[in-house]
Amino acid sequence: MLRYQNRRLTIFWFLGPAVISLLLVGIAPLVFAVYTSFHRYQLTNLRSTPFVGFKNYLFVLTDGVFWEAMGRTFTLLLMSLPIQIALGMGIALLLHKPGLGYLRTLTRLGLVIPMATTYAVVGLLGQVMFNIKYGVINQLIGFLGVSPINWLGDSTNAFAAVVFWDIWQWTPFCALVLLAGLTTVPGEVEEAAKLETKNWWKVLRHVQLPFLIPGLTALFILRTADTLKLFDMVFTMTRGGPGSATELISLLIQRVGFRAFDQGLASAQAIILLILTIVLSMLYIRFFYKEVAQ
Amino acid sequence: MATVEYEGIGKKFGVETVMTDINLTVGDQRFVVLLGPSGCGKTTLLRMTAGLETITSGEIRIGGKRMNGVHPRDRDIAMVFQNYALYPTMKVFDNIAFTLQVKKFPRDEVERKVRWAADLLDLTPYLHRFPKALSGGQRQRVAMGRALVRDPKVFLFDEPLSNLDAKLRGQMRYEIRRIHDRLDTTTIYVTHDQVEAMTMADEIVVMRDGRIEQIGPPDAVYDTPANLFVADFIGAPPMNFLDGKVEDDGGQPVFRFKSLALPLPNDVRWDADRPLIYGIRPVDIEVDPGGALRGKMVMSENTGPETMIHLEVDDEDIRAVIAGRPHIARGETVAFGINPAKVHLFDPDSGQRIT
Repeated sequence: MLRYQNRRLTIFWFLGPAVISLLLVGIAPLVFAVYTSFHRYQLTNLRSTPFVGFKNYLFVLTDGVFWEAMGRTFTLLLMSLPIQIALGMGIALLLHKPGLGYLRTLTRLGLVIPMATTYAVVGLLGQVMFNIKYGVINQLIGFLGVSPINWLGDSTNAFAAVVFWDIWQWTPFCALVLLAGLTTVPGEVEEAAKLETKNWWKVLRHVQLPFLIPGLTALFILRTADTLKLFDMVFTMTRGGPGSATELISLLIQRVGFRAFDQGLASAQAIILLILTIVLSMLYIRFFYKEVAQ
Repeated sequence: MATVEYEGIGKKFGVETVMTDINLTVGDQRFVVLLGPSGCGKTTLLRMTAGLETITSGEIRIGGKRMNGVHPRDRDIAMVFQNYALYPTMKVFDNIAFTLQVKKFPRDEVERKVRWAADLLDLTPYLHRFPKALSGGQRQRVAMGRALVRDPKVFLFDEPLSNLDAKLRGQMRYEIRRIHDRLDTTTIYVTHDQVEAMTMADEIVVMRDGRIEQIGPPDAVYDTPANLFVADFIGAPPMNFLDGKVEDDGGQPVFRFKSLALPLPNDVRWDADRPLIYGIRPVDIEVDPGGALRGKMVMSENTGPETMIHLEVDDEDIRAVIAGRPHIARGETVAFGINPAKVHLFDPDSGQRIT
């Protein structure tokens, strides 16, 4: 009996810290957000926080600003993800070639740098590099004889800069995941294909791609979730501006919650975003893994 | 239909030299087996033939054409891999058809060729299965089917049977040889299994440490092994090797091994006191009450049709294989004889055969 209790205590001490921190950091704020989303919860007036039912949700769902921000977020995703995957695949295929030796190790190390850099730092770097007067980008294109471009002050250019920066930071991640996928193709299978065709595209399409599906699925899910919650990089680089040109969904939620002080509304927006993310992830898994299971 | 010629082939991996100066001609329509222990270079030689490894020095010619640097696809060869290398996401039909599809063969011809190969290999009922739903033997046949439909000049096999169980291996040996005899395509077959080599080959190439130790038909390699290595590698159970020297026994040479005086072949040139290694296969030792030699039976291994017995002579173990199941008790003294015509003699320093 004592022994049994001891074992239960042991289990508690091992799991306890992780479970408690998860509850505190992850679940409690989520529950609080669900709570506030059903109340009028304005930071300027915390004396009265009446229950308002689905009012916040209804407002969000019919709010043009919310859907515009959502649209911008998906535009960013649809523009950057295909390029990240295409470039990543190219890099992965190059690095997968036999006989690279140290060059491969060095390149792999180099690829980790953008991913390891904090979003906020990437954003600050962008702010400096894209600066109209002192930025290195304008310096460089100046050498080519192009007159300085107003990167961050122009709506289209600012959005392009965000897309570019996102591609820069996350292409290496795609490359590393796809490279790992390529190494799961049995060597003999690749060689058998080599005996049958010289066409790299046919080898990729028919022989290697099936082995990459799990990695690609993971990439789609992670990149979609990352883009939907992308905040720090854009916040430090453009603050969502100029105007609302780069105001992604997470920046909008932050603005509503902490600059307009309407926590109830911001929570409702966040919950809708969460539901959307979960639904999208499930769709990805169902759609792609079906192909693998066949 | 083609000969394959190797001229002065050398191979280095980085600074490591794994092969020097291999010279070999594989005749048209021949079935040649490269045999040796792992690390002997047989697979490397095969992969160089296929174009999957570069050739460091020398020249490989297929059908008289230099193959160095030619892309694997353009060498007109087909290779069957050890782990089958089937495309896991394609059904059997597509696995076999892939090579034709990428070459843009017309659809009905693809269909006809795949059906022909499937028929030859008894794969017709499985054409619409995925490889994972097949047994090892069936997968191996699919791999062969893939090679067959290419109608290549040379078939290359890289230890194709090593993942199969013993019974299936025997059956596949027969099938591979049967297909070769039907199609008469030049075949190079790599294995470490001397039984496969003995049963399938027209010619065996025994390799060790990146060198060729002996080339010859199975009978010749078995009956007159060129050196200790080949003598030890070919034949199961392996040959007995006894260290001793030649002695003059009243004008007649005998081989002195401990307390035994063993008979020598008639045609041997001999010098008294010359140290030699005396090789005799277990099957060539005749257990017979009239035999002049004596040993103590310490253990027997019964395999059904025959029995291997271990005879102890002055603390040395001599193995003999006899038909049936003799009733010899452990510890009993056994009389045996040796047919001098079956004796192999080797030089202890060079390991070479002395004829």
